[in-house]
Amino acid sequence: MALLEVENLQVHFRTPVGVNRAVDGVSFHVNEGETLAIVGESGCGKSVTSMSLLRLIPEPPGKIAGAIRFGGKDLLALSEKEMRAIRGNDISMIFQEPMTSLNPVLTVGRQIGETLRLHQGLDAKAAEDKAVEMLTLVGIPAPARRVREYPHQLSGGMRQRVMIAIALACNPKLLIADEPTTALDVTIQAQILDLMRDLKQRVGAAIVLITHDLGVVAEVAERVMVMYAGRKVEEAPVRELFANPRHPYTQGLLGAVPKLGSSLTQESSRLAEIPGQVPSLTRPIVGCVFAGRCAIATDICRAYAPALEPKGPRHAAACHYALKEAAAA
Amino acid sequence: MLGYILRRTLSTIPVMAMVGLFVFSLLYIAPGDPAAVIAGDQASPEDIARIRANLGLDRPFLVQFGEWGWRTLHADLGTSIFTGLPVTQMIGQRIEPTLSLMVLTLIFAIVVSVPMGVVAAWKAGTWIDRGIMTFAVLGFSVPVFVIGYVLAYVFALQLDWFPVQGYTPITQGLGPWLGNLVLPALSLGCVYIALIARITRASMLEVLAQDYVRTAKAKGLGQKDVLFLHALKNAAVPIVTVIGIGIALLIGGAVVTESVFAIPGLGRLTVDAILRRDYPVIQGVVLLFSFVYVLVNLVIDILYTFLDPRIRY
Ligand SMILES: Nc1ncnc2c1ncn2[C@@H]1O[C@H](COP(=O)(O)OP(=O)(O)O)[C@@H](O)[C@H]1O
Ligand code: SF4
Ligand SMILES: [Mg+2]
Repeated sequence: MALLEVENLQVHFRTPVGVNRAVDGVSFHVNEGETLAIVGESGCGKSVTSMSLLRLIPEPPGKIAGAIRFGGKDLLALSEKEMRAIRGNDISMIFQEPMTSLNPVLTVGRQIGETLRLHQGLDAKAAEDKAVEMLTLVGIPAPARRVREYPHQLSGGMRQRVMIAIALACNPKLLIADEPTTALDVTIQAQILDLMRDLKQRVGAAIVLITHDLGVVAEVAERVMVMYAGRKVEEAPVRELFANPRHPYTQGLLGAVPKLGSSLTQESSRLAEIPGQVPSLTRPIVGCVFAGRCAIATDICRAYAPALEPKGPRHAAACHYALKEAAAA
Repeated sequence: MLGYILRRTLSTIPVMAMVGLFVFSLLYIAPGDPAAVIAGDQASPEDIARIRANLGLDRPFLVQFGEWGWRTLHADLGTSIFTGLPVTQMIGQRIEPTLSLMVLTLIFAIVVSVPMGVVAAWKAGTWIDRGIMTFAVLGFSVPVFVIGYVLAYVFALQLDWFPVQGYTPITQGLGPWLGNLVLPALSLGCVYIALIARITRASMLEVLAQDYVRTAKAKGLGQKDVLFLHALKNAAVPIVTVIGIGIALLIGGAVVTESVFAIPGLGRLTVDAILRRDYPVIQGVVLLFSFVYVLVNLVIDILYTFLDPRIRY
């Protein structure tokens, strides 16, 4: 059994202009100790997907439906109190915004120790000792001094290290990292990624990693899920996805636009720019969600939504024209 | 930190000097010849001249101010024209009821208004929020004396839960002291509660949208810790500021409240002194109130540095 199983997840927001279907029928799983990367452009529902795993979606205006099974338990069926016992303890999260995600008026030590006191019942002294230990683990120099400092005394990279320390303090089984390096300088990004890779081996937690950076995906993840407009459009083991992207959207992200037949080798590891825009999520979408931007879209695409179908071993894509492995070979 | 506290404390000296100058000038700003005003309608020119010499009004303004300031610094506020008693003694006799009323109102208002504002922000847009805010608007728009009379009518006259008026010193027991002050503190507190609750709600609304509040939830903290620890501490600066500014409201309101509930405090003393044109008493009371106001705001400024570690001067 997988550590995390998400089945037909739907997250809808009521807005003045209609219902925003931020996540619309997404299913995926994460095995113990495994790293799943979620990629896709801005506004595709990656953050909403990850926040709904912890049930952090504000309800209302949001509404979560489907099933999220963690260690066999359906998180959506738990009471708020039971859910709180899981947050920060079994499942923890690192956010995209290191500059603003720490509380400016509480010391770093207090913010790390808080989860330990809450979930592991440590007293104040033991929590502070453990906080120092965690700061050492995430590579912050002079940790005994730093625990007494406030976030504004730390750089962005340091703050993200503190966030990682908070997230790992209670030895979670699942760590969700929502673009943990996007807001940082390039050199700092590399340092934080090194740290995450190092910790991944030491801590052994499963990771859901949301990122824009395909270089990171290639290095850190075992499997990749590609999201577009609130749907999962492709999923495959990382090597397979890079070698044989099936969905035109994935090919676009990888910079391999099929029409041009260009290769995967490119200077930047960032997602490639695809012409056009993500469709409005507040209007129902008929046919394929990607049809508006797809270079090979046909009338069939615009009329019928493609189902997510197997395209090879552990490889699935939602496209009428994505070739099966046999045909592609 | 210590340096800042010292600097900030010293900075109150020029402020108090300005207040002193203003208070002293009251005598001159008031229409007519102060000596004639003090002497009354039936006074002879000799009487007026005597009073003028007595008050030192025949000497240059700055000399008078200097002398007055010097005496004031030595806790000598002069003698009442009406009773002939030292002003400090008259204030001393009246200070307990007023201080009791204000401190009680302050505590009561903060204890009620801050949670009200926090809950309103948390439940923003729901009927709970609307209910709280409607109350806040009402509390702000109905005059203190109206609230006072209504409360006295319902809870003292009709239900007989509390005394209608008067004051019992705290030395005669906590119960009677409190019994006499509940209704006055309630009426005086309404405006203050409305003011603080509104600022608390606004400040909390802003803070609740911040990323670190989401982090607090993601850690598994309960609603109470998220609201009253993580959010409220960040929302505290504007709240504490308005509590300080509101002290002025409280002072003005105390004068009215004391009249409504016949409390023999500084408010009554002030009103009586104004009616009798007892200038030394008026000056003494205004000076005292100003001093309290400046002091409270000094304390609040120093409090900021404890509430928000980013504030550095
Ligand atoms: N609280 C909310 N209220 C309304 N719409 C929301 C809310 N949060 C997210 N959305 C919408 O959900 C969609 C997906 O957003 P998000 O998951 O943040 O995208 P991504 O992380 O992939 O960039 C967007 O259209 C966004 O506007
Ligand atoms: S189904 Fe059609 S429009 Fe959609 S991605 Fe495939 S080819 Fe493009
Ligand atoms: Mg996002």
